[in-house]
Amino acid sequence: MTPPPLFEIDALQVAVEDKQIVNGLSLTLRPGEVHAIMGPNGSGKSTLANALMGHPRYTVNGGDIRLAGESVIELAPDERARAGLFLAFQYPTDIPGVSMINFLRRAMTARRGEEIPVREFRQVLNQVLGRLQMDEQFVRRYVNDGFSGGEKKRAEILQLGLLQPLVAVMDETDSGLDIDALRIVSEGINTFHSDDNAILLITHYQRILRYVQPDHVHVLIDGRIVESGDASLAERLERGGYEPFMERTRERALSS
Amino acid sequence: MIQAALDAPVAAETKPDDLRAQVSSLSRSKGEPDWLLAFRLANLEHALGMEWWTGQEESWRRTPRERLPRRARVGRIAALGNSAEITAPPHVFAPHAHAGLVHQIDGRVASSDLAARAAADGVIIQPLSVAARQHPGLLQEWLGAVGPPLDRYDAFGRALWTQGVFVYAPRGVVVDESLFYLVTQDVSQGDHWHYTLIVAERESQVSLIDAGDANDRSAVLDESPLIHASVELIAQDGAHLQFASVQRWHRQTAAISTTRGRVGRDASIRVTTAAFGADLDKQRIDMDMSQSGGFAEIRGLFVGDGKQHIEHVTTQHHKGVGATSDLLIRGVLTDDSQAVQYGLIRIEPEGQKTNAHQTMRNLLLDDGAGADPIPMLEIEADDVKCSHAAAVGPVDPDQLFYLQARGIPPRVAERMVVRGFLSEIADGVADEHMREVIDELVEIQLDPKGVS
Repeated sequence: MTPPPLFEIDALQVAVEDKQIVNGLSLTLRPGEVHAIMGPNGSGKSTLANALMGHPRYTVNGGDIRLAGESVIELAPDERARAGLFLAFQYPTDIPGVSMINFLRRAMTARRGEEIPVREFRQVLNQVLGRLQMDEQFVRRYVNDGFSGGEKKRAEILQLGLLQPLVAVMDETDSGLDIDALRIVSEGINTFHSDDNAILLITHYQRILRYVQPDHVHVLIDGRIVESGDASLAERLERGGYEPFMERTRERALSS
Repeated sequence: MIQAALDAPVAAETKPDDLRAQVSSLSRSKGEPDWLLAFRLANLEHALGMEWWTGQEESWRRTPRERLPRRARVGRIAALGNSAEITAPPHVFAPHAHAGLVHQIDGRVASSDLAARAAADGVIIQPLSVAARQHPGLLQEWLGAVGPPLDRYDAFGRALWTQGVFVYAPRGVVVDESLFYLVTQDVSQGDHWHYTLIVAERESQVSLIDAGDANDRSAVLDESPLIHASVELIAQDGAHLQFASVQRWHRQTAAISTTRGRVGRDASIRVTTAAFGADLDKQRIDMDMSQSGGFAEIRGLFVGDGKQHIEHVTTQHHKGVGATSDLLIRGVLTDDSQAVQYGLIRIEPEGQKTNAHQTMRNLLLDDGAGADPIPMLEIEADDVKCSHAAAVGPVDPDQLFYLQARGIPPRVAERMVVRGFLSEIADGVADEHMREVIDELVEIQLDPKGVS
């Protein structure tokens, strides 16, 4: 029996400053699934990621987003997060003066809807830090302030591990990582992954997919999914690049 | 009631002879030595010869001058002298631990103490008029040594002060814990003139926290009280002096302060101010860097609400070789509050190898709020490093989005960013208790209803 969908993107349209970027994108994630959306620069990957989380700069002008059967399209970003949606940022923002530990506690409290006891917080925190091979002193630093590229990505995975969302959207999590960091980050994603949640990996390159096995791969061109398949589609992209898909999209645009 | 006759306000238009007589009577009532009366009268003459302002001065042009009382009144409490020690209401800044403390309310001393070790080392913290009797040599040498008054308020302040403190660290003495000067504004008593003098002898280290509170913050006053503070900081060669000033005066108050530091060779002065109360708070901070290798730091923090006007006028004046000065002002403005920062870096031809920097950042949380940061450079030496930066703007929407994307509600997220923004300054205050109190006041000022 197929379980009901956990996350549905339904004919989504997104514009940025009056420019239409996402053009009727549909996608369904069921519990336990890992989906990868792959696309070249300018195909709308980051716009999609930010719009899913409700960034105010992105205007949704059509379609729907449903989390566990409920539409979240009218919800503010913080409400979406509390409902169980997570975005791992491509470029995490630094917030000087706000310590990681203070931020993480507040985020966990928000997600749970109640204050988390200090002991439990410490325990969970140290567990996830250890798994990501991060020093305990790390959380004394200000949020993303002065972090290296690798530290920023690890900090995103740290939050993923602590907040235990239902659906995690990973926006170019592999970019800027060396091979060791990529392995640690991927293990973090795999440890988080279970039959109860779903992951949407948004990526330009195939390399993270060697570590995090996708069930479905989708090709994004001009804000639309132009092809879907299994993991072998990623390998095809690796060999042939995006050009054949872009070619087809252009032909279709001409003939319509 | 008995004081009624003496309570008659003395306006600026009061005949100079009456003011002279009142200053003399004030000095006598406090049991001051003759030289101090002479000092007061000399400054009074200086003040009487000055204008309040023409309005053309850079230091006054941007001030809403109609909200500043132009008057010099001898404090009403003057006649009480030092006769009675009184009980002051709890002071929001009262510390748990300290090396020494003076608490004054309206010119009277509520409490005064000094840790045994500090006393044995020769450290002094005393009400200024007490120090004038007990340490006349030191005061005669240093009172007013920073130079002539900067403006008419500063000049009147030296003549009319009814309360103040003297802090002294002898040569080579390091005072580990902060000293405290607490002032309670008695809102029924009108204007107050304060005078603070800190002298750090060679190679010494001392930190004073000057904290002002009001005895009744909800009282509705017929007239805006004026609070003026003259602060003089002397760091002799190799000394390290810290001065942190925090105020939450009654909200109808016009607060003016003049803080001047003289930085010796390889010495340092760090000034931090935090403004929460008053209707108008105008702070003038001047650092005199005429010796080589000196270091001066000016830190300003404020959270404005309502129609508050918060103004910093600063000078980093370099004459010595290889001295460093750094100014950082960070303010948050809500409602219709306004801020001005006029910061001048002046480097004389002999001030080679100077490092001088200034940064002014203003966060606007409401449409009605505004800020006008003006960094100025006057550089006459050719081998110097200077930088300045000024910013006015809302909270970074990307920071808010990042926090919101983790489930944190917008209001809480904004509060976190704002507190983080201010923490760079608050964290620099030496005393932990004071940091906590500043944190609390930031919270209160951001949301008077206490909703978080």
